[in-house]
Amino acid sequence: MFGSQNLEVIIGLIVVFLFVSVISSAIREGIEAWLKTRASYLEHGIRALLHDRTGDGIARKLYNHPLIEGLFSGDYVPGSTTTRPSLSGGNLPSYIPAKNFAEALFDIAARGPDTNAVSSGPNASSVSLDSIRENIENIDNPRVQRILLAAVDNAQGDFERAKKNIEEWYDSGMDRVSGWYKRATQWTILVIGLAIAVGLNINAITIVDYLSRNDTARAAIVARAGTVTDPQTPQDYATATETLRSLSLPIGWSAGWGAPRRVGEPGAGGVWNDWIGPILGWLIIGLAATMGAPFWFDLLNKFMVIRSTVKPHEKSPEEGSEDRADKTTPPEVPVAPVPPVSNATPGPAVAPGASIPDWEKIPGPTDPEDDVDGCDVEVKDETATSDENLPAAEGGIK
Amino acid sequence: MAHSLVWLPSVLRNADLKVALVDGWESRGRGDVGTIHGVICHHTATNAAGNMPTLDMLIRGRSDLPGPLAQLGLGRDGTFYVIAAGRANHAGKGTWQGLSSGNTNFIGIEAENSGLKSDFPWPAIQMDAYRRGVAAILEKIGKGPEFCAGHKEYARPIGRKPDPSFDMNSFRASIAAVLNGTAPPLELIPKEEATEDGSGRPTLRRDASGDLVKGIQTKLGVSPANGHFGPKTEAAIRIFQRDHELVPDGIVGPKTWAALDKL
Repeated sequence: MFGSQNLEVIIGLIVVFLFVSVISSAIREGIEAWLKTRASYLEHGIRALLHDRTGDGIARKLYNHPLIEGLFSGDYVPGSTTTRPSLSGGNLPSYIPAKNFAEALFDIAARGPDTNAVSSGPNASSVSLDSIRENIENIDNPRVQRILLAAVDNAQGDFERAKKNIEEWYDSGMDRVSGWYKRATQWTILVIGLAIAVGLNINAITIVDYLSRNDTARAAIVARAGTVTDPQTPQDYATATETLRSLSLPIGWSAGWGAPRRVGEPGAGGVWNDWIGPILGWLIIGLAATMGAPFWFDLLNKFMVIRSTVKPHEKSPEEGSEDRADKTTPPEVPVAPVPPVSNATPGPAVAPGASIPDWEKIPGPTDPEDDVDGCDVEVKDETATSDENLPAAEGGIK
Repeated sequence: MAHSLVWLPSVLRNADLKVALVDGWESRGRGDVGTIHGVICHHTATNAAGNMPTLDMLIRGRSDLPGPLAQLGLGRDGTFYVIAAGRANHAGKGTWQGLSSGNTNFIGIEAENSGLKSDFPWPAIQMDAYRRGVAAILEKIGKGPEFCAGHKEYARPIGRKPDPSFDMNSFRASIAAVLNGTAPPLELIPKEEATEDGSGRPTLRRDASGDLVKGIQTKLGVSPANGHFGPKTEAAIRIFQRDHELVPDGIVGPKTWAALDKL
């Protein structure tokens, strides 16, 4: 029978899951803030996207481009070159807007990777589809060049559309990065959830056993669930730990292993009680934590609604509850991977130029040996070409 | 294999300029040039005597910079030395008219001048050849005078290069005059001395031969006086011309004949 009592036990369990999830993701966020794994995943993803495994080609140029460089402090250091991103992202940005990415890539293509007097002077070549095509070799990476050319050709002369193409390509790459990061985060949260479960001895089986036998505790936790689903209640680490403690659930180590019967209670002892029960109970808690707080929050809302239909006099407003579930998606989102938001505002990315037709301003790729030039050289007398060694001239006589 | 700029000598010759080809010029270059959009004017800034003392260095380059260092060298007597038909390392970092690949998109002309006060103003014959040469190239590539840049204008950061030492705006104005046909025609050396009976001595230059050459060699003390106008004789004539404030081009025309007669 799916009675009110079972429902209340489930609600109680969900409340516990919810709080463990909130605590886990809060700890996870703390670790993230310290290690910046997100930045490392983003960097790794960009290197994969740009086909630059070692990070000393176009990926480095991109990170050193002023549009991107401003997003982080320090120098660009490529992360691990293996298939797994490194754990720590260093100083790198954890988020690069698609617009910056596309504009930086176009700028590198049109004006070259270096930021110097040439590429930033008033005479620098303008960024147009023509100049991107003409200078595509500045990218120095055949695969990316091809992608850029495809985007440019696909746009058929529309600069904004070409930019949009690149932004979409970037966003699709970032979706993949989000996927990796999400999976990695879930593993981390599982470990954290297990650590919390074992550390605080939060055992799902004990809790179910306790709630089903203890009417007052069940009533208390359901009442608590009512305030949890109230959007006014903050969902943060402090509130979660405080609530968990105030529930007077059978958690903590003071009464021994405690699963499902605590030491001293009738029925305690045995292989099930002392070994399999606790381990299974902790595992359930750990796995529940990986589902994330939003999932448990939604589920809790749904069960509260079901319960209210079962107990009409404690009805909570159904429609309101549904709305709330949509509107108040909890602020604590445990997995918040690199959000590839593209807020492309159309605007001229073309530098003002002199009154010369655009096609005139299409330079070739920057010269390979252009950091030196030949004037200002001391010619010693022994190396000087004497008049006797000059080749014969012609012309000049009529 | 010959590079793209094989048209340089004929374009300059058609402008009635003195042109000398450096052996192997057709295939010389750091690879080939790209589309030529203009000309960058340099001066060599080396303080050595002679008509084109830097020629060898422009061909070979120097330890830190492989040659050629320009497509054209311009001697003090206004002779264009065609060094390379391919790409040359003349521009360095810089930008002009939105173009920042100087070596690929510009022809480099290195004019022999120390850039010092003692070497200013430039010899009139050299300046005249400079503007006419640049004008001929611009006409060939279908560009206006604004596509002639001084190296000091092209080079970035501004102030990195001082050459050429003359004012570029008036230089471009004089190029425009040549292009528009408003410049006075080039004064060429007559083929022979102007006399009423047509018995004037012919104008002599490298590879001429005969008794007249022998006479010059004897007068200037060139040995052996074999009657062949070789590089040694030419060099001796240049020295003689410098001493007598003539154009030191090694060509014995009416003025040089007159000066030789007084010897």
